[in-house]
Amino acid sequence: MDTVISLKNISKTFYIREGHHDSIREKVFNLLKGDPPRSIPALKDISLDIKKGENFGIIGRNGSGKSTLLKLIIGAYRPDKGGRITVNGKVIRLALGMGFDPELSARDNIYVNGSILGLTFRQIGKKFDDIIGFAELEKFVDTQLKFYSSGMVSRLAFAVALHTEADIFLMDEFFGGVGDEGFKEKSEKVFQQSFVEGRTILYVSHQLDTIQEYCDRVLLLNMGEAVALGSPKEVLNQYKQFFH
Amino acid sequence: MINRVFKPILELLPENNRWERIWKLAQVDFQKRYYGNRLGLFWALLNPLFQLGVYYIVFTNVFSVSIPYFALYMFIGLLFWMFFSEATTKSIQTLINYRYLIENIQFNKIDLFLSSTLSSFMGFAFNLAVFFVIALSLGPPVTLNFLYFPLFVVNIFLLALAFGLLLSTLNIYLKDIHHVWDMVTLLGIWLAPVFYSEDLFEKKLGFLMYANPFAGIIINVRKTVLYGQAPDFLLCFYNFAFAILLLVLCNLLFRRFSHKAIEKL
Repeated sequence: MDTVISLKNISKTFYIREGHHDSIREKVFNLLKGDPPRSIPALKDISLDIKKGENFGIIGRNGSGKSTLLKLIIGAYRPDKGGRITVNGKVIRLALGMGFDPELSARDNIYVNGSILGLTFRQIGKKFDDIIGFAELEKFVDTQLKFYSSGMVSRLAFAVALHTEADIFLMDEFFGGVGDEGFKEKSEKVFQQSFVEGRTILYVSHQLDTIQEYCDRVLLLNMGEAVALGSPKEVLNQYKQFFH
Repeated sequence: MINRVFKPILELLPENNRWERIWKLAQVDFQKRYYGNRLGLFWALLNPLFQLGVYYIVFTNVFSVSIPYFALYMFIGLLFWMFFSEATTKSIQTLINYRYLIENIQFNKIDLFLSSTLSSFMGFAFNLAVFFVIALSLGPPVTLNFLYFPLFVVNIFLLALAFGLLLSTLNIYLKDIHHVWDMVTLLGIWLAPVFYSEDLFEKKLGFLMYANPFAGIIINVRKTVLYGQAPDFLLCFYNFAFAILLLVLCNLLFRRFSHKAIEKL
């Protein structure tokens, strides 16, 4: 099968100066003092290939580098020198209420997001009713998102993602906030089918049962290092031993 | 209103996802800044007219400036300057404003700057329409040289885009750049013939003709629409080359450093 995401020797180090601000005055002072910033290694030498259609889980404790890894794949962050990331396909990251502007209505947000994901206005127009229908938001199409509940925003995010034909989904602690049980069931059903459609899904979650149920392979991260990679059963056992 | 004026233009173009996206982001940004579509336009038009009124009263009554068509002379200068300063100042915050998109979807970040500049351009375009209505009724001669006018609009757009990218990149390391830019824009408007005569500018500040790209643009704009003359082609060429060269450089700079901005957001 084709590889859609390929990570080679990915490291990511953040440089932080505590209690400092990026201002012109500070820059001049720092030149004189030569105070080095503190480096925080968020990811250390990760290599990974994810195949088309794979359901891939990433687990680890808070601060283990899960979200950093997703942001690298999205292209928001750039890896340290020597690392290479290749992504084939349109990627969307789903996190609670993210990707939307709270000042805009659902309609505008759908057009903005759809457009960035590569659809033309005509294509979005055709899918518009489906998206609103799936999210069950018919009565709030022109309401600004700041008046939505967080469950409603998650439903909209999910519906947009499903209908915009992104190839790769990055689910960042998403199912936790997707709203009521009925909708959760509906979206999980769609996700089981989507495996057949050949979409690639990366789950980041603390809900181990979700990971166990849906994933083909799981990566365990600890302090930025890849500790284990394999079948959900093996890796989850290791995770439990590791931390308990 | 925005939709009614700009959408037909968009529909003339072949269906293209990228331009649609840039247009949509710009339209939505305009709507947000001016609280919706109809009332918003009122504020976008009132602000420059109000400023013009204040400056006109001060300069004709207090300093007794006598320049033919002084109101129009000042108005067109102000409009170009306000567009430039608004678009560039807004660009400083662009990456922060669109963080919600950058962190979740993959796309070319230059589009954000194109749309942000375009959104300022929408207000500018309506104000230019007001200018031409007044200009045609107050009566400076209409000549074929009016046709050069769009050239300068494109020129100032490219210049604003280039400075927007530059400022946004600088803002990564120097968070207080907007204070500096406020001062630079204030200095810039006084180092160009907006409120005083072009003769005075050439006599006292002639060396700035090429150093301040805005001065050359505004001089050529007035030549074509106020005096019905052909533009100074050398100056026109210089300003265009300046804007394009700066845009290429700033684009390279932005591509090199923009990811740092997102990490520091």
